[in-house]
Amino acid sequence: MNTILESLKQFWYFTGFANATWQNIAMILIGVLFITIAIKKGWEPLLLVPIGFGMIIGNIPMFPGLNIGVYEDGSVLNTLYQGVKQGWYPPLIFLGIGAMTDFSALISQPRLLLIGAAAQTGIFGAYLLALLLGFDPNQAGAIGIIGGADGPTAIFLSSKLAPDLMGAIAVSAYSYMALVPVIQRPIMLALTTKKERLIRMPAPRQVSQKEKIIFPVVGFLLTAFIVPSGLPLLGMLFFGNLLKESGVTRRLAETARGPLIDVVTTLIGLTVGASTQADKFLTGNSLKIFLLGLLSFVIATTVGVLFVKFWNLFLKGDRKINPLIGNAGVSAVPDSARVSEIVGREFDPDNHLLMHAMGPNVAGVIGSAVAAGILLGFLG
Amino acid sequence: MTIFPFKAMRYTRIFFLTFFMLLAGSGAWAQNLTDLIIGEVLVENTAGLTDGYGQRTGWIELFNTSNGTVNFGGCYLSDDKSDLKKYHIPTSDRSTRLGPRQSVVFYASGNASQGTYYTNFTLRNGSTLYLVSNDGRTVIDQVEIPSDLPADCSVVRVPFGVKEMDFETNVSRRPTPGSYNGDVDAKTKSQVMKEKDPHGWVLTLISILVVFTALIILAFIFGWIGNANKRLQSGQPKAPKAKKVKAGDITPEVAAAISMALSQEFGSEVYAAIALALDDYMGGGIHDQESLMITIKPTKGSTWADKAQNFRQLPR
Repeated sequence: MNTILESLKQFWYFTGFANATWQNIAMILIGVLFITIAIKKGWEPLLLVPIGFGMIIGNIPMFPGLNIGVYEDGSVLNTLYQGVKQGWYPPLIFLGIGAMTDFSALISQPRLLLIGAAAQTGIFGAYLLALLLGFDPNQAGAIGIIGGADGPTAIFLSSKLAPDLMGAIAVSAYSYMALVPVIQRPIMLALTTKKERLIRMPAPRQVSQKEKIIFPVVGFLLTAFIVPSGLPLLGMLFFGNLLKESGVTRRLAETARGPLIDVVTTLIGLTVGASTQADKFLTGNSLKIFLLGLLSFVIATTVGVLFVKFWNLFLKGDRKINPLIGNAGVSAVPDSARVSEIVGREFDPDNHLLMHAMGPNVAGVIGSAVAAGILLGFLG
Repeated sequence: MTIFPFKAMRYTRIFFLTFFMLLAGSGAWAQNLTDLIIGEVLVENTAGLTDGYGQRTGWIELFNTSNGTVNFGGCYLSDDKSDLKKYHIPTSDRSTRLGPRQSVVFYASGNASQGTYYTNFTLRNGSTLYLVSNDGRTVIDQVEIPSDLPADCSVVRVPFGVKEMDFETNVSRRPTPGSYNGDVDAKTKSQVMKEKDPHGWVLTLISILVVFTALIILAFIFGWIGNANKRLQSGQPKAPKAKKVKAGDITPEVAAAISMALSQEFGSEVYAAIALALDDYMGGGIHDQESLMITIKPTKGSTWADKAQNFRQLPR
């Protein structure tokens, strides 16, 4: 009888119930919240469902030493987590993004690239604020990149600059990307007048296939020569785009933007979620990171819209730009461009801004990769 | 007539095969043995490092200057130019893989039977030490040992420059066998930035400037390419002038907006319905090269019931 009781007691020690802490339960509830938001509201479900479930996986209380946790060498989760830790998932996602992005909107109106550049101010605004809050420069750089509104870039840079903060940075970046419509709309309305919101922009010109093929090659050469440290992201982004536009590598492009990006997105979401183990995630720093992440999105949107308003002072007639596309400079593709379209149509149902907003939106992807390269060069 | 293309194809294949082989070979060479240097040499050891047998002998430190792993098994060490294969580093030892920016020490005990890291010659002042590639001929690196090198002093190669890929040769009174010869207390970039730019304004201004510069140049280049393209097309027959867009007209912008809004709400299968409706509305026969757009091409007759359309393209 004693043996049975002893064995049951030993078994009890191995269960999650015996090892549970309130922090684990809190993180599991956050995971459930993420899944609920994704399913009920439809906000970034492809990211929030894997991250939410990953949070639950990572916070199942367990007896250490069983070689199953994400931070235990050689475990299955740890092996999958290497793609995040070593930073090779994000460039693969960029390959897929390149293979699915149509840069025509940008090529037809190259001046809109500047809006994408202006919105990167969010990154550096958050960097300055993070320094003020006492973070080291490398940590501040990793936190600042949340303002780029680009999950893979945030993971890539934080894995290099501040691996210990990566979980909080990644979750913060993806959460605010899901909340782009909620964050950006009030800022756009507060900073624009009704007259400005009604500005109609001329239809973009047709872009030839030749231009679309030249774009990834020239774009890559230029950006990579200026910021070689952004090579993994920029190289994959433009390579993916060349696969798409070359017209002779359809199968490769379809794999990159289809099965490959799906597999990597699943794994990156799940493992980033699993990396948010309560003991490493529920800290004062994580709260600060969430606050700074929100501020970086606010700064990026504000500067994007104000930049267009300022630019309009020098433009005449139909050259004027609707400031409602200023928010799209943050690279949450295509969500922020959709916000421009939706807000624009609230005031003029026939004014379609989507195609115009896609220009700064994809410029934001390039801009945030360049910014990540600069931060890596200075602080890596 | 058919011989020429066949020959051309064969030559093309040979060309590419040769090119890739050369590329592979040069890559292996460039990333491997040439990245090794003799990092430090000590001849007379009276008070320093002891070997695995408790003896104090002269020693040779090899340093991997690259950021990749180098396998030095099969290379040679020698102090005699006429006999470059004097000591052969065993290839059978798995420990001969040297990690990025790491170093390894060989004891010049004069007795190679003591192990992989014991050379069959001893060191002497005034000689030249050679590190020779595994072909036994190519000298990868060499160090001249001064004839007046004091006891317990080493000849050391100290890295300098921004990249720390250049080396100057010094004599050191504080030998550092097996460890980095540069500034071991060097600060990280982050620490340097914290001292130089504690509030982050300099980095912020430089970064914003660089981001803007990169994207402005890109904008100029594509503005120029676009204009050049327009000029090229100006020689061709003009496309019919677009009608003035009225409210409610279905333009490509409207089509894109409708398509994206609906796909967000209902899923990708509505693309087909939208595309068909637009195609019908705009008179049929819309063709787009975009691979993510639905292409509707008018064909002669229907292929709907064709057997080929119903075959699986790939076995599953």
